[in-house]
Amino acid sequence: MSAFFDQYGFLMVAIVQQALLGMSLWYPLMAGQLSLASIGFYSLGGYIAAIMGTNPWFAPWREALGPAIYPLQWLIALIVSALIGLAVGIPALRLRGIYLALATIAFVQVLNVLVLITDVTGGAVGLFGIPQPFVSRLGYIWFFGPLLVLALIFSARLTRTVAGRSFMAIRDDELAAQAMGISTTFEKVRAFVIGCALAGVTGAMSAPFLNTWNARQSSFDASVACLAYVLIGGARSIWGPLLGAALLVALPEVLRPLKDARLIMNGVVLVVACIYLPQGLAGLLASLRRPGKEAGHA
Amino acid sequence: MRSIIILLAAVLIANSALAEPVGKPIPIGIAVGQTTNVALFGEEQVNGAKVAEKLLNEKGGIAGTPIKLMFQDTGGDEAGAINAFQNLISRDKVVAIVGPTLSQQAFAANPIANQAQVPVVGPSNTAKGIADIGEYVSRISAPMTLVAPNSLKRALKMNPAIKNVAVVYAQDDAFNVSETGIFQEAIKELGLNIALIQKTSVKDTDFTTQITAILGANVDMVVMSCLAADGGNMVKQLRQLGFEGTIVGGNGFNSPNMYPVCGKLCTGVIVAQAYSPKAENAENQAFAAAFKDMFKKDPAQFSAQAYTAVKVIVDALNEVQASGKDVAGMDLAELHQNLNKALVASSYETPLGEIVLDQNGEVTQKTFYVSQIKVSDDGKTGAMELLPE
Amino acid sequence: MNIALFLQNILNGLSIGAVYSIFALGYTLVFSILGIINFAHGAVFTLGAYCTYALAVGDFGLNGLLAGLSMPFRLPFPLALLGGSLIAGITGVLVERLAFRPLRAKGADALLALVSSLGVALIIVNLLQMLVGAEIYSFPSDIFGSLPMAMIVKVGGKVLAVRTVQIIILAVSMVLLVLLAWFMNRTRMGKALQATAENPETASLLGINVDRYIVSTFFISGVLGGLAGTLIGASFGLAGPYFGVSYGLKGLAVIVLGGLGSIPGAVLGGVVIGLGEAFLPPDYSSLKEAVAFIMLFFILLARPQGLLGRQTIQKV
Repeated sequence: MSAFFDQYGFLMVAIVQQALLGMSLWYPLMAGQLSLASIGFYSLGGYIAAIMGTNPWFAPWREALGPAIYPLQWLIALIVSALIGLAVGIPALRLRGIYLALATIAFVQVLNVLVLITDVTGGAVGLFGIPQPFVSRLGYIWFFGPLLVLALIFSARLTRTVAGRSFMAIRDDELAAQAMGISTTFEKVRAFVIGCALAGVTGAMSAPFLNTWNARQSSFDASVACLAYVLIGGARSIWGPLLGAALLVALPEVLRPLKDARLIMNGVVLVVACIYLPQGLAGLLASLRRPGKEAGHA
Repeated sequence: MRSIIILLAAVLIANSALAEPVGKPIPIGIAVGQTTNVALFGEEQVNGAKVAEKLLNEKGGIAGTPIKLMFQDTGGDEAGAINAFQNLISRDKVVAIVGPTLSQQAFAANPIANQAQVPVVGPSNTAKGIADIGEYVSRISAPMTLVAPNSLKRALKMNPAIKNVAVVYAQDDAFNVSETGIFQEAIKELGLNIALIQKTSVKDTDFTTQITAILGANVDMVVMSCLAADGGNMVKQLRQLGFEGTIVGGNGFNSPNMYPVCGKLCTGVIVAQAYSPKAENAENQAFAAAFKDMFKKDPAQFSAQAYTAVKVIVDALNEVQASGKDVAGMDLAELHQNLNKALVASSYETPLGEIVLDQNGEVTQKTFYVSQIKVSDDGKTGAMELLPE
Repeated sequence: MNIALFLQNILNGLSIGAVYSIFALGYTLVFSILGIINFAHGAVFTLGAYCTYALAVGDFGLNGLLAGLSMPFRLPFPLALLGGSLIAGITGVLVERLAFRPLRAKGADALLALVSSLGVALIIVNLLQMLVGAEIYSFPSDIFGSLPMAMIVKVGGKVLAVRTVQIIILAVSMVLLVLLAWFMNRTRMGKALQATAENPETASLLGINVDRYIVSTFFISGVLGGLAGTLIGASFGLAGPYFGVSYGLKGLAVIVLGGLGSIPGAVLGGVVIGLGEAFLPPDYSSLKEAVAFIMLFFILLARPQGLLGRQTIQKV
């Protein structure tokens, strides 16, 4: 298509992709749980898609299924991520606050090292030459776009269901929620597993999107970036992860003309956004729509 | 709102409908990692490319038309490499791309260029399968199959009494894992005994445990496949803890970063090299002199390889020009195709010696080097002295 | 395992573990007083190492804005170490001013401080690269004067090898820990710091100027980070502006393992992880980076508050 989409097609889809990762943190955060495990499940989902797409063992499957192999990859990534999420979540969610965050970081780090020394994952080089369903990067919007829409609809509905209200009750006051008869452990694990499953599917879609998959996909930087999307976007709005990802993923690209200074400027924007947008971009937008109410005192 | 959309659409359509001549100066893209921890290599590549721009333009560029390098930082990740490539292709409208730094990034970004039919020359991608990514992908960085056995032979020549060997390799680095395989076969072929094998990590800095084992095994030689930061630390600690035998390092040691890490304790280490600043071919003499003039230091292998990648593109552009076409006036898409045809199935005189790109874009390098590290007594300056044949 | 190898591993583990401890103490002090992790601590660690290098060696390489420059003076290593750590301490104070105080003043979500401190880390690290490039720097081997590089001892017929720098690291760390313990438990200021950490509101009712103590905490934390950075740098070289990141992550594992906000916990956590890494058989050395996190994961499952942590509701 046009030059603009050639240049920024990948970036625009990357925003949606990263927004999905942000959303996968948003669910546990909705229940007041700070988890950084998403990136691990993203990596896991990516490996499932990459192995199914390149390993000779799956060649008959690929031939038999054709493009239907992609939804199958998503489904397997979803099931595996949800199961492992359950196994990790039940013991880990006894932890609170930063302890939980650190336990999830530990989980991701251990996963990374295991991947490096396993043969089927391609070791340090990783897997490459992953089959492509679309010619242009922009085509991948047909993968991530519907998933984002589904996730947004799900989130919007969730905030009105009993489960969603239970999540928020736990976030606001866990003891009170318990007193109201909410099974806090069950709800926390539920929020966590929803996030894990979403991250796994996003990963499975991302392996063909990036053409290659390796252990570097789940770095610590990447997991903190996901948290930043949610917080800068606004943790209390379903639009938060999307807004945050839009700003933070596009920012280094917008700042390209600054050359050497672009990551310094990126840091400055992070700090300024935290200070001046305590309710995130979503909070800012809301306060613009309701003039008179200052952002920051919602 | 509506008028804005129409305006935007008009601009976009007008943009894509234009036939695009290459223009002057001729833009060549450099997409390497200038930030994040990849910058350790990326900075050296940028320096080599800058020397290429200056030197090759002084030599007349493309029939008098200068080249201009467009730098786009890839950062250390795959998405960054794809973004840098798309900027070079769509905005900077380059005739070819040199990059990216890491093989993993190449697997992500090179298909983008291949699909846009923009030639890519990999300056430092050594993993298997790079040249197979597509028709428009080539590389000038050769895997090290010949040089490793040579370096062992030199070591034996210097000390024929060597019998027992310890092998060390960084098992989380693809290049070093494949290199140690070559080393180990060569050791057996030379009739030496591998007394023990120790694995390390490129992220590691403290090797006391491994060294304790090596010292206990009474070996005459340690053969290491590591990178400069970890390998340099291990050499330093080996010497500090009293190892006096021969040390042979793979191509990961071929970096000026060795000198600051292990200082004068590096002296005497034998290094298998894909590039030596001391190599006597005319291309290298000119390059090394220009580099020293600009940066006051000998060029690193990453710099020489980046220079080589630019040189290969410029040579191929000159070939297109010589075929009777005006490169600067050509349609960009047409030039991409012509350039790629000229790039592959050719041989080039470069600082790495003569290299040949086959029809697939895969490289064959004719000459490799074996050197010995010499660091001055104050530990401040170092050099790799070529060992005589 | 023979006795020499056992002793060797103990020594290696203690030496690296001591640095982990000092580094982690910087985290834990800030956490104890604010209940927040300072993600910029790894960057301050790196900055301290580079500042010491600038003061003690001062020759810059071929990349960055300072390329080819040479500082007009050279300080002896102990003085440079002090200077570098002080600059790191001042940077710690700046980090507080930039990333923490404005958020505290607004009563913003404490999680935001994770992101804002990360932003400051991004600024520091990339500023460093802009100035001195990403190449490797290192201290010359004569910074410790004429001490021999290593000592070789025979234990039971086997070699026990000790690098001098390991001994120096261990000694400096011990001195520092004793100093810190004295400061926290025996001085007015230390006691006030502890009171503030215990309960900021009560402390401010008691007339303790909480803001001032928060600033002091960040200063001490920065100094500790800078010291740890220099010790690691002196031992293994400064492997680019990003070399603090992996230590930063490991430091997090250390404090959580030991128990957040607990000073003895940070020390114990550092030593436990250092020893764990040292006793890992060389064949599994690719797992070394994971040792800290495997231990962390299992210890947290058994003791959710860490080894020496108290069972309280954490803020963030």
